[in-house]
Amino acid sequence: MKPRTPPPLWRATKWIVLLVLLAAAYSLSWRVTQPDFLKLIVAAPKAKQIIGDFLHPDIIEREAEISLIEIPFPIPCGSTEVEAAPAPVRLRVEPACAEPRGIFRVSGSDLGPGSTVVMRWLLPSGGTLPIEQYPVDEEGAFSAEIQARPIAATKDGVPARLQAEVSVPLTRIHVSQAMRDVLNAIMVTIFMALLSTTLGTLIAAPLSFLAARNITRTSRLGSVVYYLVRSLLNITRSFEPLVIATIFALIVGYGTPFAGVLGLVITTAASLGKMFSEAVESIDPGPIEAITASGARRSQVVMYGVVPQIIPDFLSYIIYHWDINVRLSTIIGFVGGGGIGYYLSQRFNSFEYHKASTAILAIIVVVWALDFLSAQVRKRMA
Amino acid sequence: MLPLSSHPAHPPGECPLLQVQNLTKVYPSGTVALKDVSFDVDDREFLVVIGLSGSGKSTLLRCINRLIEPTSGRVLWDGQDITAAAPAELRSIRRQIGMVFQQFNLVRRSSVLTNVLSGRLGYANPWLSLIGLWPPTERERAMRALERVGIADKVNERADALSGGQQQRVGVARALMQEPRLLLADEPIASLDPVLAHSILQYLEQLNKKDGITVICSLHFLDLVHRYATRVIGLKDGIKVFEGLPQEIDRKRFKEVYGEEAQEVRAASLEAA
Ligand SMILES: Nc1ncnc2c1ncn2[C@@H]1O[C@H](COP(=O)(O)OP(=O)(O)OP(=O)(O)O)[C@@H](O)[C@H]1O
Ligand SMILES: [Mg+2]
Repeated sequence: MKPRTPPPLWRATKWIVLLVLLAAAYSLSWRVTQPDFLKLIVAAPKAKQIIGDFLHPDIIEREAEISLIEIPFPIPCGSTEVEAAPAPVRLRVEPACAEPRGIFRVSGSDLGPGSTVVMRWLLPSGGTLPIEQYPVDEEGAFSAEIQARPIAATKDGVPARLQAEVSVPLTRIHVSQAMRDVLNAIMVTIFMALLSTTLGTLIAAPLSFLAARNITRTSRLGSVVYYLVRSLLNITRSFEPLVIATIFALIVGYGTPFAGVLGLVITTAASLGKMFSEAVESIDPGPIEAITASGARRSQVVMYGVVPQIIPDFLSYIIYHWDINVRLSTIIGFVGGGGIGYYLSQRFNSFEYHKASTAILAIIVVVWALDFLSAQVRKRMA
Repeated sequence: MLPLSSHPAHPPGECPLLQVQNLTKVYPSGTVALKDVSFDVDDREFLVVIGLSGSGKSTLLRCINRLIEPTSGRVLWDGQDITAAAPAELRSIRRQIGMVFQQFNLVRRSSVLTNVLSGRLGYANPWLSLIGLWPPTERERAMRALERVGIADKVNERADALSGGQQQRVGVARALMQEPRLLLADEPIASLDPVLAHSILQYLEQLNKKDGITVICSLHFLDLVHRYATRVIGLKDGIKVFEGLPQEIDRKRFKEVYGEEAQEVRAASLEAA
């Protein structure tokens, strides 16, 4: 018998109706979201500033050892008595005085390679007059010609002083406070994810056996348990972790990691429970049959016949879910779940975009690292 | 030697090792896989079950140790009703009945040693065995079982690293761990090539002759039936259509059991020889 083909007119109408509906849906979405591309262009200067902030995350401060060397410098010569005090070894001036606008030479040695010298006048009046910044060569020396500025002339018998600020960079990198806070918060997030994945797994594993057809549905009572557990998992899975976490944040306190963990544990248990039970259902029944035939107890059959078969699947699901939980817990922080998300939302609220950028960077690095790690582990286990 | 007769004799007053009485199995789908099958098995017999694919051989073997629950009928083990046994009782009966499978049924990811030890679970301490703790005597027993089937050197390999023939030998070693009185073998050689098939069946023959283990084995090839069986049962559509000595099974009788496909099966069996 040939299948009846619907009349062409009806088929065409069906398509037209479908197209009209689709067009209506798109025009509605456009009206609802109100995209304003003009604004995107007009706001360019603002964007430039914000993006600029984000491009300079607050991560490190260079630690440096700073020492000051000073030499009195009479202008003009003989305007005051300079004690024949032993000149500082590391800094020399030649000649030891100058006429206004006269040129003299400053040179230094033993300043430490790689350091920089900032020269400035300390005026008799108490003010300072910057001269210039000089790099120090590999031997730790520098040399420069400087003009004696009239403004630095001796006043009331008090000469101006030449000051050299030598800063020796240390190899130590000094982590900024923001970076330390971010590291702290991201560790909280990672451990939140770890804890909620672990707790979720501990709940999901036993449930998954109850929700596996091949393990549970061997008796009437088993069937009842199977349907109960399966429905429980399905219902729980339909809750958004964000919503659950928000509710818990209201109960146990806003901004506490515990609220986030509770939200994640519940959704993790539900979704891992489902994934685990499918892994249990897809195992080879042969070994179970063989071990049962040898007179083993049910617990022994599970341990020897089921567990070895599901371990790789379980492990890769757990790692996958840890990955998801790290991402989720950053977002959950925004709704008061603690960790890096909470830090990030606080920085946004106080317009500290450098610090927000640090947090975003940390999230990117951690998510990327976890992605890489889980891919590696899954490859190992295949 | 046992007297070769189609009706196994046993000393008066002693019951046969295994009695299958009016066994019927109807699957939930409505398939009648076994219909009123009865026979006795004596100690030290090598009973071969033949029959076409779908004739109910696997169902029969699995009803004996209740891997499949029979719909009606009884199976008596040493006079004790397996079909009515409580769980603990059933386990202690199962412990005495080893089983070897067509697909080997090893845990592929576990080591050969673990697979062999799992045959000993019925005797093991329920708690220690759960965390994988085995007394040295059991490990030695496993080594001896593996030596028996000639693959002691593979003890630490993963089961799926072994060839089919080697895997089936692990299967035999696992059954040996039970110190069984009866060995059920469900087409133990159907996944193997002819040379390997003979080597596996020779192990079973050795266990039967030397260790006095009774064997019930389903097979497909007539020449193998002649070579190894002490008695034969033929199934067709779940009904016992033949019971007798292997010599009594000639091409004509074989055709009765196998129907029109007999020629084909015989051709395959000639190849195997
Ligand atoms: N779990 C099951 N549910 C429903 N029907 C089944 C089931 N197992 C087997 N059957 C049916 O019961 C009949 C007997 O099957 P069985 O596996 O015992 O035959 P067999 O002789 O072992 O065949 P083979 O040589 O192919 O292994 C077949 O018709 C089969 O389709
Ligand atoms: Mg079969």
